Amino acid sequence: MSQFWKAWQKRKDTLQEKGLKDHANKSMESVSDLRLTTSVDENISLIEYQLGKSDDLVVRRFQVKSGKDAAIIFLDGMVDRNIISDFIIRHMTNPNSTYDDPATNEMDSTDGLRQVIRNILSGSAVLMIQGSSNAFLNNTRGWDRRSVEEPQTESVVRGPRDGFCETLCVNSALIRFRLKDPNLRVRHMVVGQRTQTDIYVMYIEGLAHPPMVQEILSRIERLNMDSVLESGYIEQMIQDRRWSPFPQIQNTERPDKVVANLLEGKVGILVDGTPFGLIAPAVISQFYQSPEDYYERFYIATLIRFIRVISISIALLLPSLYIAFSAFHPEMIPSRLVIAMAAGRSTVPFPSLIEALFMELAIEILREASVRLPGPIGPTIGIVGALVVGEAAVSAGLVSPVMVIIVAVTTIGSFASPSYSAAIAIRMLRFPVMLLAGMFGLYGIMLFLIVILIHLSSLKSFGVPYMTPLSPLNLSGMKDLFIRAPHHLLNKRPTMFHVQDKIRMREEENKE
Amino acid sequence: MSAGKGIPEHQTLSLWQQICLITSTLIGVGVLTLPRATSSKLFEGGWVVPIVGSTGAFFSLWLIARLSRRFPEKTFIEYSQIVWGSVKWPRLGRWLSIPWITIYLLYMYLSTGIASRLFGEVVVTSVLLNTPIEVIIITMFMLALVLCWHEVEVVARVNELLFPLILLPLLFIALASFQKAEWSNLLPIFRGTPRSVIEGVYEGIYSYSGFEIMFMFFAFAHKNTKKEVAGFYGILIAMVIYTLIVGASISVFGYEELQRVTWPTLELVKTTQVPGLILERIESAFLAVWVAAVFTTVANAYYVVVFGLRQLLHKDIIFQRVIATVLFVPMFFFALWPQNIVEIFHVTSYLGLSSLVINLAIPIIYWIVILLKDWMFKPERKNVDG
Repeated sequence: MSQFWKAWQKRKDTLQEKGLKDHANKSMESVSDLRLTTSVDENISLIEYQLGKSDDLVVRRFQVKSGKDAAIIFLDGMVDRNIISDFIIRHMTNPNSTYDDPATNEMDSTDGLRQVIRNILSGSAVLMIQGSSNAFLNNTRGWDRRSVEEPQTESVVRGPRDGFCETLCVNSALIRFRLKDPNLRVRHMVVGQRTQTDIYVMYIEGLAHPPMVQEILSRIERLNMDSVLESGYIEQMIQDRRWSPFPQIQNTERPDKVVANLLEGKVGILVDGTPFGLIAPAVISQFYQSPEDYYERFYIATLIRFIRVISISIALLLPSLYIAFSAFHPEMIPSRLVIAMAAGRSTVPFPSLIEALFMELAIEILREASVRLPGPIGPTIGIVGALVVGEAAVSAGLVSPVMVIIVAVTTIGSFASPSYSAAIAIRMLRFPVMLLAGMFGLYGIMLFLIVILIHLSSLKSFGVPYMTPLSPLNLSGMKDLFIRAPHHLLNKRPTMFHVQDKIRMREEENKE
Repeated sequence: MSAGKGIPEHQTLSLWQQICLITSTLIGVGVLTLPRATSSKLFEGGWVVPIVGSTGAFFSLWLIARLSRRFPEKTFIEYSQIVWGSVKWPRLGRWLSIPWITIYLLYMYLSTGIASRLFGEVVVTSVLLNTPIEVIIITMFMLALVLCWHEVEVVARVNELLFPLILLPLLFIALASFQKAEWSNLLPIFRGTPRSVIEGVYEGIYSYSGFEIMFMFFAFAHKNTKKEVAGFYGILIAMVIYTLIVGASISVFGYEELQRVTWPTLELVKTTQVPGLILERIESAFLAVWVAAVFTTVANAYYVVVFGLRQLLHKDIIFQRVIATVLFVPMFFFALWPQNIVEIFHVTSYLGLSSLVINLAIPIIYWIVILLKDWMFKPERKNVDG
């Protein structure tokens, strides 16, 4: 049995490997790894051949001051033309200049064709001079980019307003700017055979657990995909359990959140072309913790955390509790309320399960529609949907008034989670638990919760159990789980991420 | 497959996880009938039973913990073969240990079935009146099955997470019902004879079965934890809860009335009122939360059966998943074997008796054999230890 299984796995692995190899051969490796020659014309035709004579490829020929032929090759729109004209062409043709090199601030030289092609594709201007097989790779990247703006999905009342943008170097600068630690390490990787996406893996040496960093790096290295358009590609490919509904890697638009997590010994992953960075490993607390918790005073931060936990539980359970109570356990509802509920439900022709499913479906449609609708119309549709349709459904006798309240509270509750992708998991799980509540009442809800609990207990994010610090119980982690202890009590880093340097602040030097 | 070699730290069980495993396995369906069983022989002094009974459990669990300490990182299945075998004939150990292992696993298997049947009876008679009992039993087995698909560390973590959910409702019920207590029901303080105490303990023994799962789980305990301490606290917590529940039931109902109630603890819940009247009657809610307690009892025992078979036959997790699914079917039929509630109570009293045999006799016999072997092969002592 197990031998058969092993053989099957092996076969699958070899097939996958072979497929990936074939796949990889298609793109960057298709560029033959030739050496450049000393002739500019030959090199130009080589590059033009490899890029298929694309029409946005610009070749500018000129003569340097010593009279040799030279050429600059770049892709239109990806470079800063001022740099090229001022610091390369003008500088190299100026007879008073004493230098033979271009005057750009970041320069490299190579004679490998593949590297030349890669650099042209990522926005470099390549300078070649007759008689030398070395090409100068000038970093002249400069395309239109969005400036740093306030993050859309994670807004806070108190806290920094800058969020990541689509440009990798700006994003990493936003982190460096907050964290001037010489131990901050940034590892550059390129993923995606066709997209050649740049990725920065950031961690603090001496804090992050080295095997964990290694594991993350090697998982990204092993990635053999054709395209990476957003950090979600990487998130879904490197997480431990790909079939789980729960996100095992956190995503964020906020640099301050990444820095805070780096300081807890976690690893940040930034992907070029998206404002969403990743934080690994992620544990259950990502569902209800926000960086704001640490900026506000701890009483209110603790209270708000409790409110978030409650609202997430409401988002998950309220409709199913309604179904269970009204269909199976009406004796539990106080008698006056049950009479009022029965009066409201008297015109409703459906069982409460159908009623709840119908309303939840309607609200999900509204929600999706208001995201897709162009800016100013969105909120209007939300109001029309919630108020008008809800009111009409009640007076038409399709749903009971209590149901409308429940659906509204549930929807609002699911918005209270500071992490959108975590809230999606909750939103999704609401439907199976409603079905089970319709079948078995409270017993069904409990069955479902236990199954989810088993699943959560078995989940791990890069070796860290998902339910830490609840289980395995970690008392030092409990200080920053549901309550947010005052900063002077959080003087040690949580040990569950196996940090190396455990001390966060020296107590005695901070005495009042 | 040795349990402990090269296991990373978080995959071993912490002290707290061991306590949770013991307590949550102990607290199961037994609590629902405990007040009736204990007061049947000792009348108003029934609250003595959990306290006296716990000493037996302490002793037995201490023996088990010592056994596990003698063979560190080895489960009952693995060390049985060492205890019964010798250096010359390792095969002998394998064959001689099989009857003991069979008794142990069979007992766990049957008690799993009966516990879920009892739970089904409670649910069907008090909450889900129109649901067939088969559905309740099957869903409970399915939950246990889901747990059996995972590794030991997951079992420990699930128990750890469910632990407050098991403990808090019981504590709440016990303490809240003291509002209605008639303290004179507890008087005279004690009028039992030693004989009646022993009879009373015998009646309540089913509630104290369940810690035999530690025959297996102690093997995964973290090196630096004291297994005896875990056993002590685990049983202590259960004892406090049991004593409170029995005391509350006797003081609220009086022992005569208790004898006429099928599920005294559930009746106790019905008398409890939630302050603020958010919920009118809470027995449905109690039973819903109670699923967690029954689940930990049923699933831990079933996990031991499945994991034991996996170790006995030297297989991997895939085998464990398959065998868990296969064994599900005969257990379902066994659970439906007793015709009515009276027969179920007969079976549980037999199971209680056999748990006594397993928990006390097996460790004692094992220790006798080990000490005898030590005494006979003194120079070879190292080899005997394995």
